[in-house]
Amino acid sequence: MELPFYNLILILTSTMLLIAFALAFARIVKGPTPRDRIVALDLIASITMGFILVYSVVINKAMYFDIVIVISLISFIGTVAMSTYLKQK
Amino acid sequence: MLMAAIGLIRFTDLYSRMHATTKATSFGLLLLIIGVSLFFNVGMVWLKAFMIIVFIYLTAPLAAHAIAKSNRKKDQ
Repeated sequence: MELPFYNLILILTSTMLLIAFALAFARIVKGPTPRDRIVALDLIASITMGFILVYSVVINKAMYFDIVIVISLISFIGTVAMSTYLKQK
Repeated sequence: MLMAAIGLIRFTDLYSRMHATTKATSFGLLLLIIGVSLFFNVGMVWLKAFMIIVFIYLTAPLAAHAIAKSNRKKDQ
């Protein structure tokens, strides 16, 4: 499939995802309470899903959607488990 | 999702940070998944994309609710 600005769109999307990843990582390093870090980790899981989607377009394989399903499951379970642990502490 | 990260780094309170991340992330992933499905345009990919979108829109409010509940328990 040939689009006019194909490479430019992919590079732009990857750059925006990389900046978002750096900002979320800064919030993990800086965050005052553990809840801020949990929110930032949830955001980082979503950014990883975005990276895998962009990469599946780059190497042109539709198989990578399964990885996105698994990452969303693990991210949800991890977030709920960490917040339950903090609630009982 | 860049907007979500900017909101995460700029806001001062935990609740406003969650307000920034949990909605903008869901919408950004929705747009990305629709774009990739339009790129491949196979039936199985559309089915998986629909499953991912439904799952994300079910679980993102649940995770945010769990975090907010734990924070409220701490404040009391």
